[in-house]
Amino acid sequence: MKETILEARNLVKKYGNLTAVKDVNLAVQRGEILGLLGPNGAGKTTIISMITGLLEPTSGTITVDGLDLQANTNAVKAKLGLVPQELALYPTLSARDNLDFFGSIYGLRGKHLRQRVDAMLEIVQLTERAGEAIEKYSGGMKRRINIAAGLLHQPSVLLLDEPTVGVDPQSRNAIFEAVEDLNRAGMTVIYTTHYMEEAQRLCHRVAIIDEGQIIALDTPSALIHGLGGGILLLGLEDPESGPGVGRVQTVVDRVAALPAVKSTTRDDGHLKVETHRFQEALMAILDITNQLDVRITSMEKWERNLESVFLHLTGKRLRE
Amino acid sequence: MKTLNALSIRAALRVARKDIKVFLKERGTLLYLFVVPIVFIVGFSAATGVQRDPQLKAISLPVVNLDAGSGASLALLDALDQGDGIQCELYDEAQAKALLERKKIERVLTIPANYAVDLQAGQPVTLRLVNGPDASATKSEAVHRVVTGVAADLSLQTQLISSFRQMADMQAAASPDQQAFTAEIIVEQAQSQFERSRTEPLLSVEERWPQHLLEKDEDEINPLSVNVPGFAVLFIFLTAQTTAQSIYEEKRVGSWRRLLAAPISRATILVGKMAPNFVTGLVQTVVLFGAGALLSPALGFGSLTLGTDPLALVLVCLVVLLCSTSLGVLIAAVARTEGQISGLSQVVLWTFGFAGIWLDRIPLASPFDTISKLIPHYWANVAFQELFIRGQGLADIMPNLLALSGFTAAFLAIGLWRFRFR
Repeated sequence: MKETILEARNLVKKYGNLTAVKDVNLAVQRGEILGLLGPNGAGKTTIISMITGLLEPTSGTITVDGLDLQANTNAVKAKLGLVPQELALYPTLSARDNLDFFGSIYGLRGKHLRQRVDAMLEIVQLTERAGEAIEKYSGGMKRRINIAAGLLHQPSVLLLDEPTVGVDPQSRNAIFEAVEDLNRAGMTVIYTTHYMEEAQRLCHRVAIIDEGQIIALDTPSALIHGLGGGILLLGLEDPESGPGVGRVQTVVDRVAALPAVKSTTRDDGHLKVETHRFQEALMAILDITNQLDVRITSMEKWERNLESVFLHLTGKRLRE
Repeated sequence: MKTLNALSIRAALRVARKDIKVFLKERGTLLYLFVVPIVFIVGFSAATGVQRDPQLKAISLPVVNLDAGSGASLALLDALDQGDGIQCELYDEAQAKALLERKKIERVLTIPANYAVDLQAGQPVTLRLVNGPDASATKSEAVHRVVTGVAADLSLQTQLISSFRQMADMQAAASPDQQAFTAEIIVEQAQSQFERSRTEPLLSVEERWPQHLLEKDEDEINPLSVNVPGFAVLFIFLTAQTTAQSIYEEKRVGSWRRLLAAPISRATILVGKMAPNFVTGLVQTVVLFGAGALLSPALGFGSLTLGTDPLALVLVCLVVLLCSTSLGVLIAAVARTEGQISGLSQVVLWTFGFAGIWLDRIPLASPFDTISKLIPHYWANVAFQELFIRGQGLADIMPNLLALSGFTAAFLAIGLWRFRFR
């Protein structure tokens, strides 16, 4: 049984009549990388903001290492490292000056501060260019310093808020490797993203968030397993009587009864088929449509990935 | 708790030190805050002097006429009314004295008893122009010029008429075949009287200032002693924009979130953001006043003194800086975009600057006198001028300090109320 390092209970955030976060419960285990996956505007940043004390929850509690955030705000904040989505750096100052400052506001001083700054510059491989103004750095270098600034005080939990937005593929890989290295060294990471590939690659567990709610929370493989053998989306049409009537209904009924099919739903003229065994179900469906002379007007197979999980759960695509 | 406070102060100083570092990298801002005001001060002073030749309009001049009823005194009042923008208002002596003491009127002109008789007899007559403690130096200067001019005209007129009358009497006493005065003698006599009216005017004006102001001769006022405080106040308040922009920029790049996520209080962050403006303004004040004092003799404007009460000067500087910093927080709280900050700052700070500093220089009695009192710049500028030009002390500028403190408290209260940390 892994130890819970951060726990959010019944977290709610309201802005007037709008509820941005609805009763979120989250237990982050020490040493894991937990992904918060959801489209833009789902409430990921609001959750992160409440966890880091930037926003006060309308209701609910947050504890870190057993300390309540409301009662021990500064002690809790000292345990957390935030890497904001934006490049939260001072462009005219050098990387060293930036790190010096961010370390100092976490109480690091003197020799210890210098050592930590040097260590971070070493980790992000920017020691040679530490004296240059940030504005002269490439986008990827800035991202690396942005992450380093959140690590200076050796936080127990690192919160990365969409750290790869606007980053080239090479720098994105460098960020992934850095996160994996940190995690291997024992750091707990909360990683928000709307890129399912990132969540799938990096995260031990993923919380899928939509409209301010966690709608699923599990390991990526378990979430994907929930898709069964795969999902097939079919457009069907009876050449004589049109879509959705007559023989099409018979097809739907017979497909639903197939042993390789888990469930079917009809939506907007389409038949969504969740399968236990995709290949077997597909062959059987083709047989049925041939026998009943129903035309297949479209066919889409959803890949077994988190994007499909999200689509399956919400009916929306992650990047809609 | 003590440790906590010490930590908060230390954290605020770190934020402030970082902001100063960022600020020092911005050469344009440095130029704007330090070089531009000096250029303005020197240029403005050279171009306008102290605005000693203003167009006068309807300044109210309370007059006590102790020779009421005499034609000569009425003629004097008429001449003053027809002069450049003076409106005489008659008071009795006791009433004028009381009003002057209560600072309800700024000055009073007294026409002495026997004014007409003495003038008629060729005896020198002195008009007394007494200024109150709150009299505007510029307006008093203007009034003094008008009264002196009218007195000089009347002196010349009276002396010439008297002289010609004597000549006419002498001509009348001479036998008809005698020509007592040739044209040359008459011209010579007129020139002599003209010269005499300048050196020994029959009608002179004695101007009085309160005792503590007497030591300061008006002639000592040099343009820089007016323009240095004026522009210093304008540019110190312009640093309010720097505070607002610095907060906005911090929010824009996202470092504001990082500050909020750090184990320091919001009050600490805000103090840290306000402190650099305070320090910058302080340095700016020292630079501008120092440059003024150094440049003044070099530019031929004479010496520029910074008053006789260093404590009062320091206090005014500190309160003005606090007021400017608080205004910056207010602007940051009200404006939501960079454009709004820039627009609001330009409009508010330049308008305030113009209304609070230069409207007071316009030597006319107008609603602007009241409007400018609603602006902190006015109180700051007047406080500096009281210290620099009139050599006043802390007690004299206490109303200014209180007014500025009031503005500071109001700006800060509204700013904090409206401030969005998110």
